[in-house]
Amino acid sequence: MISAKNEEQQPKDASRRSALSWLSSVALFGSAIVSVVSNLVFIKPRATYGPPTKFAIGKPEEFPSGARISLEARRVCVVREGNKVAAISTTCTHLGCIVGLSETGFACPCHGSRFDQDGVVTGGPAPKPLPWYKISLKPNGDLEIDTGLEVKSGTYLNI
Amino acid sequence: MTVIERVKQLPSDVWTSIFRNPLPHTDHGRAATSFTNFFLHLHPVKVNRNTLRPMYTMGLGLISLFLFLILTVSGILLMFYYVPSTTQAYDRMLDLRGSVAFGTFLRNMHRWAAHAMVAAVALHMARVFLTGAYKKPREFNWVVGMILFLLTLFSSFTGYLLPWDQLAFWAITVGTAIAGYAPVIGKEMKFVLLGDATVGQEALLRFYVLHVAVLPAIVTLMVMIHFWRIRKDGGLSRPPEAEAAITQPDSISVQVVAGAKPNGGSYGLMGFVRGPFTKTGNVPDNSVFSWPNLFLAELFVFVLTVAGILVVAHFFGAPLEEPVNIMHPPNPAKAPWYFLGLQELVSYSAFWGGVGIPGIEVLILLLVPYIDRSPRGVGVWFAKERILANSLFMLFAVVNVILMIIGTFFRGPNWSFVSPW
Repeated sequence: MISAKNEEQQPKDASRRSALSWLSSVALFGSAIVSVVSNLVFIKPRATYGPPTKFAIGKPEEFPSGARISLEARRVCVVREGNKVAAISTTCTHLGCIVGLSETGFACPCHGSRFDQDGVVTGGPAPKPLPWYKISLKPNGDLEIDTGLEVKSGTYLNI
Repeated sequence: MTVIERVKQLPSDVWTSIFRNPLPHTDHGRAATSFTNFFLHLHPVKVNRNTLRPMYTMGLGLISLFLFLILTVSGILLMFYYVPSTTQAYDRMLDLRGSVAFGTFLRNMHRWAAHAMVAAVALHMARVFLTGAYKKPREFNWVVGMILFLLTLFSSFTGYLLPWDQLAFWAITVGTAIAGYAPVIGKEMKFVLLGDATVGQEALLRFYVLHVAVLPAIVTLMVMIHFWRIRKDGGLSRPPEAEAAITQPDSISVQVVAGAKPNGGSYGLMGFVRGPFTKTGNVPDNSVFSWPNLFLAELFVFVLTVAGILVVAHFFGAPLEEPVNIMHPPNPAKAPWYFLGLQELVSYSAFWGGVGIPGIEVLILLLVPYIDRSPRGVGVWFAKERILANSLFMLFAVVNVILMIIGTFFRGPNWSFVSPW
């Protein structure tokens, strides 16, 4: 009698058990994915506290013709030739060191990358030329650089 | 029993309630001591004689563990005086020198133990490879060990930023730029790691949390798994000759001694644990009791490690450079010695040197036990059967050491070649 009852109940039990364990596995796996994704979302900052990308650098007269002035804190070099002015990044495209001015252009102290006057790679491991940034004249006569906006190499602002 | 007798007995009652066994004088006592003590039960009751040969393991795994303990203790103490803030961190380093009792000494200990741990873990890996110890059934423990090696490097890397001196800032600027070269996720990974576009306050805070909480917790967990698996995989690797001929059937029986069960019943401990080393009775074997043989050896390695770090920390100061100046990278800007091989490679190509080649190296090392499946040559240094595998590994090790030496001694300003003489 008892054994007959067991045989009768077993398939029902088994299917309920497998349905439950299947359901719990899906729930567990699903919540694992959700928590991994939400942790990644959490860890990626929405706001940063770094320096602003747009900043004024002063009047054009402060940069006489032929000047190549490196604004180290801003990681940008202001170049003026005649009436033309441009801003070239001084962050090495190799590994982010600050390149210094050299006789032939720029040189990186970290891994020996070399660039010419226009930021084109002339030696070392740097994979890309130094980017040029958008430079514009503000209504009050100040030059403004936007390091968030890269422009084509050789793009000067006429003043 | 009178009240006075009970009071008289109280101290010894308390003592025996804490320490289950008196100092053992019999084999049963020696077995019970290892078995019933929380700190000792990690060990088997008996170990194979081969495990105790100093020249087999050179104690490198133990040294790594003890260095990790030294780092944990000295690190927690340093945390009492450290603030992960770009305006305060460097001053706190100076305070450690000037106004904290033992501050300099603790920082020296922490720094040198970190360097030593990288070296010890790497040498331990070399030992395991050159003795073929990663072979079946220990394949996965090799993988756990590789993960621990990478965690050690990452712990050291995150700790590097915390003093907020020139070395710290530029090494991390270069290091995270390398991470940015990783395919697909590189840029995102760098941004998440730094919490910003450049190394600054957010990066310092993130590296601090990783260094003092996240990484030590993961390392602790992985170390536990590593040790657990050593036991479950049959103890340390050893050559087949180290095993005494088995004259008994496979199942192992342990005599339960008087007191536990009045009539001395016996339990069958089925062969869950690999390797026939849990024996009692007159089974011929090649093992000795862990107490005192193994424990004395471990104590000796511990004392030696602590003494070594104390001596080095006494005589050599941990370097501290100028405070961070984000406008002037030192020239040359060098990473710590164990990353200089990478930096040398990176000076040829950022992607291949920083991501490609190291990635392939790590992948091959992770897969070693699954590629080299021959069961022969286990438990001996430089086994004849393993001449190919060992030669390849030695080549790999020598090339990496040469790159480190070039990066350390032969590179000057602008990473140009200089002669150290």
